[in-house]
Amino acid sequence: MAKRTPSNPWTKPAGAPVQGKAIPRPRRTAEVQSYLPELFRGMAITMRHFFKNTKEMMLGQKPDPVLEALNEGVTTICYPEEKRPYPERFRGLHRLTLRDDGSPRCVACLCCSTACPAQCIHIEAGEYGEGDKRRGYERFPKTFVIDELRCIFCGFCVEACPCDAIRMDTGIHATPYDSREQFIYRKDLLMEFTGRDGSRKSANPRHEPGDPTHPGLSREQMDH
Amino acid sequence: MSLVEIVLAVVKILILALFFLNMAALSTWADRRQGAMVQDRVGPNRAVVYLPNMVARVIVLLPPALFGVLAIFSSLGQLAGRAAAERFTMNVQLTILVAWFSLLVLCAKVRSGGAINRAEQMFEDTDPRSIFFAGLGVHAIGLVAGRLVPPAAIPLAAQVSGFVLGGVFLLVGLYATSRVPDGKIPLRLAGTLHALADSVKMIWKEDFIPKNADRLLHGLAPVLAVFSALAVMAVIPFGNDLCFADGNKNGTLDLSDLGHLLATVPASGACNGFRVKLQIIDLNVGILYVFGIAGTGIIGAAIAGWASDNKFALLGGLRASSQMVSYEVAMGLSLVGLFLIYGSVRMSDMAVWQGQNAWGVFVQPLGFVLFLTALCAETKRVPFDQPEGESEIVAGYFLEYSGFKWGMFMTGEYIELVFSSALLVALFFGGYSLPFLHPDGLNIAFGDTVLFQYKMTHLAVSLISAIAFFGKTVFVTWVQIFFRWTLPRFRYDQLMKLGWTKLLPLAIANMMVTGVVVLALRNAGPAADSWLKLLADITQGVVAVATLAGFVAVVVGLLEPVERKKFLASSAARFAAAMGGVKPEPQQA
Repeated sequence: MAKRTPSNPWTKPAGAPVQGKAIPRPRRTAEVQSYLPELFRGMAITMRHFFKNTKEMMLGQKPDPVLEALNEGVTTICYPEEKRPYPERFRGLHRLTLRDDGSPRCVACLCCSTACPAQCIHIEAGEYGEGDKRRGYERFPKTFVIDELRCIFCGFCVEACPCDAIRMDTGIHATPYDSREQFIYRKDLLMEFTGRDGSRKSANPRHEPGDPTHPGLSREQMDH
Repeated sequence: MSLVEIVLAVVKILILALFFLNMAALSTWADRRQGAMVQDRVGPNRAVVYLPNMVARVIVLLPPALFGVLAIFSSLGQLAGRAAAERFTMNVQLTILVAWFSLLVLCAKVRSGGAINRAEQMFEDTDPRSIFFAGLGVHAIGLVAGRLVPPAAIPLAAQVSGFVLGGVFLLVGLYATSRVPDGKIPLRLAGTLHALADSVKMIWKEDFIPKNADRLLHGLAPVLAVFSALAVMAVIPFGNDLCFADGNKNGTLDLSDLGHLLATVPASGACNGFRVKLQIIDLNVGILYVFGIAGTGIIGAAIAGWASDNKFALLGGLRASSQMVSYEVAMGLSLVGLFLIYGSVRMSDMAVWQGQNAWGVFVQPLGFVLFLTALCAETKRVPFDQPEGESEIVAGYFLEYSGFKWGMFMTGEYIELVFSSALLVALFFGGYSLPFLHPDGLNIAFGDTVLFQYKMTHLAVSLISAIAFFGKTVFVTWVQIFFRWTLPRFRYDQLMKLGWTKLLPLAIANMMVTGVVVLALRNAGPAADSWLKLLADITQGVVAVATLAGFVAVVVGLLEPVERKKFLASSAARFAAAMGGVKPEPQQA
């Protein structure tokens, strides 16, 4: 009697014959063996693609790579001439949003630089001058520097900001420069960028203290 | 060898060498472009030259202005008789062609880019197809209306139509020039500049020779590869025989006689002056010379593989030599049936036979398939590219080559491709002959019934025949390149089995059957001959109709409008829609 292989739960049951699915051999008809009909069929397919795509390229009828991406035809783009727009929530280069008077909304609370896992944001806070109505109420960023080369584009700074002062909705990706120095974006440059809608402000209105819409405490109530 | 023979030989060599070299460069481009188009990619188009606006305008203006001025000047003198009638018909047809073609281009431009004036607004809603079909209709009307002109008025009509043609050319040129956009014009030429950039790059790249390589053989191999590819073109006939009269009556052909091309030659092609063949040399061994020289191509590949001191290169060289030796046998035998039918191995005799009877592909269909297969294997292109199979042995026998030596291998390979197309044309696709085109002009006849006859000058027929040969070669090259983008590579054992157990027996069987049939038909008598002649004429008709149908199909396909569904399924798509689509400009070709 042949020695039975010990039962092993990780393999097939011992002793039982292997049950396979019978797959018929491919038919070797003269048509298949002569190779010619398939050759012509293949040539017809490649030529159809060739003529259709060549015509559309030459006549500028190429399908739009975003709007008509599900249609047949050439699907790649000539990059610098044609650019696919990024989706709305794409995190591009940062920008600093502005108030109505053109100053940054940033109050130099350092939330963003604290939240930043790459530590690429450097802020130096400044006090408003004596007599300024914002003095003692909030500060402003004397310097606001982002190292776009260190940035990992996680978006935590945007989440952390309590004033909606930093956003990543420019829709621009980081440009390749030829020196590290050029990746250091400073306050004035960050304030230059606009959002996708072309505005330098944010969609959320800012309620300055003293405005009738201002919900919180104002300076007059400070005497208590 | 007299001076005139040397001059003629040099001119013929220049024509063929320039054609083959340029076609080699263009086929590298066509190869990449076809690959891109077949795989739905944009493909190589980054190479760009920015033309200054003035230069672009001059380039647009110059050809139509030249043609226009030429048409007007050539109509200044009075013509008489047949020449006038011919000129009149040609002028009318050319005018119609230029008119509908420019209207078509304008229509396409307006529909894609918008109209800039009132006249152009008419084209905004015009279907370009209607312009094409109207153009074809006007061509036919022009042919009929031309017959209605009284014979006495024909010389005047020829002049007037010439002026009209010149005017139309000038008008079209000026309008096209005014539509050239401002600023620098990016010239991409559909990626052709990449071939140019590649050749410049290859010249400047480092020429690397491995340390233990045989320096002499390593340098010799690419030269051998290119030499064999270039030398074979010597026996290819690329046009009708030219016939010169003895202008200065000294009994020999000399340089001054070259101005005295005979006006007409009889249908038999007989020449009672000096015959100049459009063929570098008409060897009596003809095709055997081609086999002999092409066989030396093996040496180039084998030496390259041996001299590189690289195992992969050696493998590639071995594969190349065994493959080419195997397939040369089948290649030679598959043509024997053709020799039996043509009764000659001279390339010029073959071309003449095909012109007078039927094309080789109709008399030897099996031989054609066998020869084409063997030829593909000889040129070492997909599906027979095991010698350089990049997934197995990196690059095969030219693995250790770089810079211009590598470029020479590539050039040699592509020249071989173009030459193999020229050979296919010369052997199977009628050489320089066109259906129903005889040395004395167009003669559409089936058997003894003549349907249409049109006499043409010797110069016109010779020009058309040369253009036909080069055009057919370009077309066959294009089709051969398609094999690469359609077929997967064979395995090496499949390759050898195909060569020795399929092609070789089939070629021998084909040879024997052809021999029997040829013998039977030769002894069958005159009745069979006239039936064969009728059959041959029918094949010519089939070719003519198929060519016309293909042309119309291409134009109709070109004019077909596209309709696409837009999907606004993402925020990116909304941005794109707001921009008016991702592509603000049609691709500059």
